[in-house]
Amino acid sequence: MRRLDELLPLLAPAALVVAVGLASTQVSRSWEISFLDALVSVAIVVAIFVFVGNSGVLSFGQISFVAVGAFAAGVLTVPLESKTFVLRDLFPILRDHELGNLTSLLLAAGVGGVFAFLVGLPLMRLSGLAAGIATFAVLEITHNVLREWTSIGPGATTLSLVPETTGPLQATLGALAVIAVAYAYGRSRLGRMLRATREDHAAAQAAGISVHRQRLWAFTLSGALAGFAGGLLVHMLGSITTEQVYLELTFVTLAMLVIGGVTSLWGAVVGALAVSGLDSFLARAEEGVDIGFTLDVPTGTRLVAVGALMALVLVLRPAGLTGGREPTIRRRRTA
Amino acid sequence: MTDAPLLVVDGLDVVYGRVPAIRGLSLEVAAGEIVGLIGPNGAGKSTTLHAIVGLVPPAAGDVRLAGRSLRGRSPEQIARSGIALVPEGRRIFGAFSVEENLRLGLAARRGNGVAAPLDGVYELFPVLAEMRDRPAGALSGGQQQQLAIGRALVAEPDVLLLDEPSLGLAPALVDLVFEALAAIRERGVTVLLVEQRAQRTVAFADRTYVLGNGELRMTLSPAEAGDTDRMIAAYLA
Amino acid sequence: MLVAAVNAQTLVDAVGLGAVYALMAVGIGLVFGVLRLVNFAYGQLVMAGAYTLAWTSAWPGAASIAACFAVVLALSIVLERTVFRPLRTQSPAVMLVTTFAVAFLLQSIALILDIRDGTIGEAASPIGSLNQAVSIGGVDVRRVTLAAIVVAAIALGLLALLLARTTMGLHMRAAAADFTTARLLGVRADRVIGLAVILSGLLAGIVAVILTVQSPLVAPDFALKETIVVLVGVVVGGLDRLWTATLGGFAIGFATGVINGALPTDKTVFLPSAVFALVILVLLLRPGGLFAPGGRTAVVERV
Repeated sequence: MRRLDELLPLLAPAALVVAVGLASTQVSRSWEISFLDALVSVAIVVAIFVFVGNSGVLSFGQISFVAVGAFAAGVLTVPLESKTFVLRDLFPILRDHELGNLTSLLLAAGVGGVFAFLVGLPLMRLSGLAAGIATFAVLEITHNVLREWTSIGPGATTLSLVPETTGPLQATLGALAVIAVAYAYGRSRLGRMLRATREDHAAAQAAGISVHRQRLWAFTLSGALAGFAGGLLVHMLGSITTEQVYLELTFVTLAMLVIGGVTSLWGAVVGALAVSGLDSFLARAEEGVDIGFTLDVPTGTRLVAVGALMALVLVLRPAGLTGGREPTIRRRRTA
Repeated sequence: MTDAPLLVVDGLDVVYGRVPAIRGLSLEVAAGEIVGLIGPNGAGKSTTLHAIVGLVPPAAGDVRLAGRSLRGRSPEQIARSGIALVPEGRRIFGAFSVEENLRLGLAARRGNGVAAPLDGVYELFPVLAEMRDRPAGALSGGQQQQLAIGRALVAEPDVLLLDEPSLGLAPALVDLVFEALAAIRERGVTVLLVEQRAQRTVAFADRTYVLGNGELRMTLSPAEAGDTDRMIAAYLA
Repeated sequence: MLVAAVNAQTLVDAVGLGAVYALMAVGIGLVFGVLRLVNFAYGQLVMAGAYTLAWTSAWPGAASIAACFAVVLALSIVLERTVFRPLRTQSPAVMLVTTFAVAFLLQSIALILDIRDGTIGEAASPIGSLNQAVSIGGVDVRRVTLAAIVVAAIALGLLALLLARTTMGLHMRAAAADFTTARLLGVRADRVIGLAVILSGLLAGIVAVILTVQSPLVAPDFALKETIVVLVGVVVGGLDRLWTATLGGFAIGFATGVINGALPTDKTVFLPSAVFALVILVLLLRPGGLFAPGGRTAVVERV
């Protein structure tokens, strides 16, 4: 029984993900995209959770790693014949190679991780407000560079012709992989040391834990997972632009994490799926959806709803839908 | 002059998270008295003062000023009711001038007092008058303590609370602080003094409560100031 | 070279831009001082004012501007009551995320309201004559730039007087320095916060008027870029004190104006990266800001 209780924080979100994955094969093509999008969102949000949830440090910059992962995987999987025409200014090493699906995902993870490590070396000294602002700056820099440097990517134009290899299987397996890694890290000694710094910074330092080093580990892992998720994303969409991995995605994924519950893996997954569901439903409602009667809401309602929900949760129930706790089958002692 | 005490703490409980800091504390201060509150570190002396001025909410019990309950009031409301706190560490505004610091104290003043309240403070602490335009951060420790007390007095409170005013001061300056307290008492201000210097406080105050582990242990009178055994027993209880 | 490209015209425009950014910096700094809250949604207050000007553009100028101020002030007060006040006990990071959410929320609401007529963007033209240029000493200066500089100078001057000479100003400065002790001395928390919010709203209204004259097309992301740049300036200048924040806002506005005016466009594409890299550098080395004395102590914490 105890073993089950230890595994529940892994099995519960995994079960949800598998359920969504299975469901996506049963629905029409247009709905399938929404389901896949939900699964990729899970991957992104869990990646963010690995750092933000365990360290208690707010980062606005994790989407930078999704971005570099997406563009790396994307640029290197565009078929060679088209690449030379469409992306003329690329560095030869990028232009002359084409990678397979799995390799591109691993590359995306690697690029995300390395980038996160380099960024984290100086930045992990910061906390609180400073960390929030500095990581926002990283997001802005990444966006600016990706947009203007045409030697590494398409710049301001859309990168298209990326093979759409993220179907139900890849999305589900990808999300499961990210969840498994997040779970393993959370249960590891490194994860516990980092959470100690979240609970009581000074005490953790006094106990000999290097706050900077633990944060850097988590930040790097988070970057690698985010890069991987970026790879999943670009292979799902078949294309990518810099605006798709910028402010709006930062806001929505942060909202998902907050609404679900910042401090638990379960919260990250629940939040991602719940908000994705709401978002997809409202996206349809903006076009007019039939739910017995026809519901037609004005364009832009989606973001209003998500924003309002996030603000409400932050003000009324800051711990989120799950209370920031993992699922357990033992009755909780009230003490 | 009535017999009812001016300041009453009645069965006070204060809890930080899950840790009880004060349990069932009751004490009273009559008008015109100087009452001391001593005890070892962590006994809850500062917490008691914080609870009186509304910085921490009581979990149970009450605090009454002239019969009226102060529970649930905000710190600024309590300040405006006539209680002034000289906080631990003085907490003066270093970037403001001495005079500005004193003027800040006027915020809690209730209407019809003397015409020039700052003058009274400058009379009590002449060094502040000399330094009135200097930034408060340039003052020495002892001068800052005088400023902190003066700032509280400017509001012409009925009750003055002091949290370890002699902390970090050289003996000569400690004498200065106690002399000032005596002069303050002569002006009719009631004083509750939290201090680490047990013997000096017991000798000086009309009565001294001894706090240990969040609870009231005993009360000492000035005559017992020389009785070190009793005081050690109080601290170790 | 670079110096040669900077002429009097560019300098005057840069000062004008700096003036507007300084006003925004003060608006953000005032609220930060008393609430320790970085209002990411400040640009949305300006946006709301701009939309009001656009939707009342048929009204007489003075009425339109009055409506703008009314809306911005009302929105500021509503935000303070519903969002800022309940969050006062939370960490600065949570407050930042929440204002971020509010910013998106307001922007999305604006989108819904705007798009009812089928297009995004409304035209505002409160004082068209301000867009005309006046020739001073051989330099063509738009009236609105002059107005911006003058208005900013007056507003900042009045504010400085308020803070330095009045009792309320003393209370506000004390609250910004040490809120708890100020309350212990009798300073009324809600009055001080209310005043800061109202002043901040007034400044947002002024900025809305000036910006709509300079760029009359109002869209949901109106003033968003400016807010981000001003936030950068405020952090780099020094968030802790009002005057360093204002100086930071002015400096970044001025620098942006000079650089954009002096360099050809294709050389400024990586400017945002340079600016944000500077922000990171400042946060690491001098968390108190470039203009803060000592540079060690700051509200922005470090490990």
